[in-house]
Amino acid sequence: MHSFLRSVFILAGLCLCVSSHAADALPPLTTADSLGPKVEQPIEFPHNRHAGLRDPADAADPSVPAKGGMEINCMYCHTGARRSNVAAIPPLQKCIGCHRNIESVKETPRIQKLFEYWEAKKPIPWKKVHDLPDFVRFNHERHVKRFVFAQNKPVQEACGYCHGDVKTMTVAQRQKPLSMGWCVTCHEKDHPVSATSSETSHGPNDCWQCHK
Amino acid sequence: MMENNFNRRDFLKVMGWGGAAVTLTGCGFTSVEDGREVVTSYVEPPEYALPGISVYFNSTCAQCDAGCSVSGRVREGRVLKLEGNTASAINRGKMCGLGQAGVQAHYNPDRVREPLLKGKAISWEEALGLIDGKLKAVKGEEVAFLTGGLSGHVKVMFKNYMDTLGGANHFVYEAASPAVVRASNKKAYGVSMPRLHLDKAKVVMSFGADFLGSWVSPVHFSQQYAAFRKGNRPEGRGVLVQIEPKMTLTGANADRWIPANPGSEGVLALGIINALGKAGLSIPADIAGLTRDYGVDRVSKETGVSVEQINKLAGLLKERTPSLVLVGDAAEGYLHGSQNAAAIALLNRVLGNIGKTIDAPANVPFPQVAPTVGSRSAVKALNDKLTSGKVQVLFTYAANPVFSAPSVLKFKDNLQKVPFKVALAHYMDETAVEADLVLPLDSALEDWGTGVPEYLAEGAQLNIQQPLMEKLYSGTRGVGDILLALLKQRRANEYKGYEDFYSYLRHSLVSIKGVLGGSGKDDDIFWAETLSQGLVKLSGNNGSLAAKANAAGLNLPAPAAEDSNYPLRLIPSVTASMRDGRNANQPWLQESPDPLTTIVWDSWVEIHPKTAARLGIVEGDIIEVASRNGAIKAQAYLFPGIHPDAISIPLGYGHEAMGRYAKNVGANAFAILDQAVDKETGELAMNETRVKLSKVGKRIIVTKEEGPAGGMQMGKKIAVRVASDKVNLSEEI
Repeated sequence: MHSFLRSVFILAGLCLCVSSHAADALPPLTTADSLGPKVEQPIEFPHNRHAGLRDPADAADPSVPAKGGMEINCMYCHTGARRSNVAAIPPLQKCIGCHRNIESVKETPRIQKLFEYWEAKKPIPWKKVHDLPDFVRFNHERHVKRFVFAQNKPVQEACGYCHGDVKTMTVAQRQKPLSMGWCVTCHEKDHPVSATSSETSHGPNDCWQCHK
Repeated sequence: MMENNFNRRDFLKVMGWGGAAVTLTGCGFTSVEDGREVVTSYVEPPEYALPGISVYFNSTCAQCDAGCSVSGRVREGRVLKLEGNTASAINRGKMCGLGQAGVQAHYNPDRVREPLLKGKAISWEEALGLIDGKLKAVKGEEVAFLTGGLSGHVKVMFKNYMDTLGGANHFVYEAASPAVVRASNKKAYGVSMPRLHLDKAKVVMSFGADFLGSWVSPVHFSQQYAAFRKGNRPEGRGVLVQIEPKMTLTGANADRWIPANPGSEGVLALGIINALGKAGLSIPADIAGLTRDYGVDRVSKETGVSVEQINKLAGLLKERTPSLVLVGDAAEGYLHGSQNAAAIALLNRVLGNIGKTIDAPANVPFPQVAPTVGSRSAVKALNDKLTSGKVQVLFTYAANPVFSAPSVLKFKDNLQKVPFKVALAHYMDETAVEADLVLPLDSALEDWGTGVPEYLAEGAQLNIQQPLMEKLYSGTRGVGDILLALLKQRRANEYKGYEDFYSYLRHSLVSIKGVLGGSGKDDDIFWAETLSQGLVKLSGNNGSLAAKANAAGLNLPAPAAEDSNYPLRLIPSVTASMRDGRNANQPWLQESPDPLTTIVWDSWVEIHPKTAARLGIVEGDIIEVASRNGAIKAQAYLFPGIHPDAISIPLGYGHEAMGRYAKNVGANAFAILDQAVDKETGELAMNETRVKLSKVGKRIIVTKEEGPAGGMQMGKKIAVRVASDKVNLSEEI
C-alpha cells in the first residue's frame, strides 16, 4: 500500500502538468487552432460563388462574392454524399456540363484552365483537404441520411457540422479537428431520430464502427 | 529506489483515475493530413461507377489448377479482394489462402512490363517480328513448347499455332502433379480423375493424398470433408485415416496418422486386404491369390505398422462401408509408385467402393477445350531433346523448369544449346532470366480466357476468365492476344476477322450459344449473362467407370536396402501455400505460417526428435542436407509428425530470381533430388532421394508462432516499433 501511495503522488504530479491542457480538451467546435492549413489547388475553386447566398445579408463581408452566390445544393456536385462512403469530387464532365453554356465567364483564367483539362481528358489533380487516416472509415451516407433526410436539416447546415461554412470559402479549408475525440463529442449527444419525433438516439460508440 | 517498488499493477490503478484526461490530450491531429494526397475524380464517369461503392466481377482463380470461380471486389477501378463465386460447384463461394493472395500476383511490383530482348526493352512489333523471322529459318520439328497444364481457348490457340508451325513438340510440365495417380486411376477405373465422394464415405483412408491442403482440388474436398465429419448425416461422422511418412495438413486432421515406412504403402494395402479376408470379407480370387503372402506379421515388419493397428484398420473398413481409399503424393513418389497405387486401388475394389464413393466424372463435350494435364516426366523428355541439340526455338509458358527440374538434369546448361528461347512470363523467374526474348503477360486479373478444371465437381463447366480492372502496365499483353498475333503472321486470312483475343473468344462462345444454354437468346444478352456468371455449365452425359482394378502384373518390391552413406530419405513436401514455387513471390503466402510448423519466410528441415537426438541436432541448427546430387542448407525443425528415417523439406522456396519477395528466401529442395523415376510411368519419384545431414555449426532462432523472441525475418527484426509521427502515411503504398 505504501508503494501504491507513492505512485499516486508521482502520477498526480503528472496529471497536474497535463490538466491545464485537459481542461480545454473540449473546445468550441471551431477554433483557430483546429483550422487546417491553406491548401493550394490546381484551380482555385470558388465554393462561395457556387454555394453562397444569392442575396448576402452583409455585402461588406469580403468572403461573400460581389455578385452573390448561386445557392447550389452541395449534393448537386458531391453526389456520393447521400449514397456512398465518400462524398466524391464531381467528375470533370459535370463542371463542363454547365460551363460550356455560361458564356459570361468562359474567358476567365480559371475556366480556361478547366477547359484545358477537359480537352486533354485529364482529371484535375485536386488535393485532399479532409484526409482521414486509412484506419478510419467515415461514411458520408449515414450522416447525410440522418441529418438531411430524417431530420430535415438544411443541407449546408448538415454538411457544415464537419466541413464548416463552405459557402463562404473559395478553396475549402479544414475547419474542424476531425480527431476521434472530436467525433465522439457529437456521437455522445442525443439527436432526434426524425424531424417530427421526440425520440432521440446517439451515434454509435463501438470501436469497429469506424475502425474496421 | 522508487522504480523498484513501482509495479505495473499500481500504475494501471492510478491510470484508471487520471488516465482519461491524459489519453484525451494524447490524441493529436497528427494523422489528419491536409493537402498531401491527391484525389483523382473521373473525367467522364462510367454509368455504374460511384466512388466508394464496390462492384463485383466474376472470373476464375489462376493460383493453382483447381479452377475455383472467384468474384472480385472492384472499387474505383481497382480490384481489392477476391471472394469465391457461389455459382461454381467446385468451390461454392469459398476460397483458400492461396487464392486470396491472387491480388498480389496482379499488383506484384516485380512484374515484367515490356518485351525484353536479352534484358533490353523492345517494342511488341519488334518482338513479334523477331519470332516470325526466327521461325521462318527453322523446321517445325525444331520448335518446342514447354507449358504448364492448359485448357480452354488458350489451349486451342496454342494447339492451332503449333499445328501451323508443323510438327512442333509440346511438353506439358507440372512439377507437383499427381501424374502417377492419374495413370493408376486410368488403369483401375478407366478414367484418370474420377469423381470422389468423401461426403458419402464412412471411412476415408488416404495414402498420402493431402486433399485438404494441396491435392487436386483442396477447396472442393475441404467442403466434402466438412460434410463427411458432420455427426448428423445418415452415415454418421466419418473416420479419417491418413497413411504418410510426413504429416500433411490432412494428416494433422486425421483420426489416425500412420507413418508407415516410406515406400511400403502398397504392402500395407495388400496386408489390409489379407486381414479383411481373414476377417470374413469375400475377396475376389485373383486378389486373394496375390495377397495370400501378405500376412499381418510380414506386413507389420515391412511397414513398421503394428499388427494390432493393421487388424484394427481392416476391422474399421469391414464394418463401415462404403469407404473411400485415396492415393496421393506420399504413395506415388517411388520407383514402384505405380505398383503402390495399383495395390491401393485394389482396396477400393475389394471394399466395393467403386460406383459408390468413386464415380464417373462428367464428360467435357468439347475435347478441344478439355484440360491437358502436365507431368513431371515432360521436363526429362524436353531435357533429352535439348541435349540432342535438336531444338532451335523454345517457347515456355506457365512452367519454370530451371527452378523445378532436379539439378542433375543440368537443364539450365542444356537450355543454352537452344539458340532462341522465348519466355511468356509474368515475372523474371529463373526460366525467363535464361530466355533471349521475354514477352510480358497480363496478370490473371487483366486477361481474357476460359478454362476447364481437371477435377469436375459436378457437371462439366467452362470457367470464364475476364479482366477485373484495366491493365496496370500498357506494355503487357494477354497470352491469347500474343498467340493470335503469332497466328496472324502465318494464317492471316483465317484470323483477320478477330481484332483481338477477346473478339475471338466472344465469337467462339456466341457461335455455340445453343449448346451453352443460350438458345433463342440475343447474342449480346447471352454474352453479358455469361460474363456476369463467370462460368458456363456444359451439358453432357456422365462418363462411365470401368472397375478394372486387378492383381495382374502387381509385384511389389522388397523393402529398399539401407544406404549407409545417405541414411535418410528426403520427402519433399508440397505445402498449401508454396506448392511448386510458382507463387513464392506473393508476400502473403510467405508471411502466412505453415499450418504444421508455423514457420514463415524460410525453408526448414523437419526431423524426428529421436533422429535429431541421435545426430545431436536441436531446433534452429543450420543443417546441410546432402544428396548424391547436391546439398542445401536450412534450419532444423524438430517435428514428431515425420517418420524417424525420413526428413522433409518444403518445396517452392529457394528462388534465385522471381523478384524481391521470392529471391533468396529459403533453399530449393528440387535442386538436390535424384533423377529416379517410377518404372511404369517414367514420372520423377519424388521420395526416392537419400540424404545425409551435417551441422554447419550455426544456430538461429526459428521464426515461428510461440517461438522465443529475437527471431529474424528476411534478415530483419520482427515487429519493430516506429513512432507514428515518423510514418508518412501518404507515401505508404
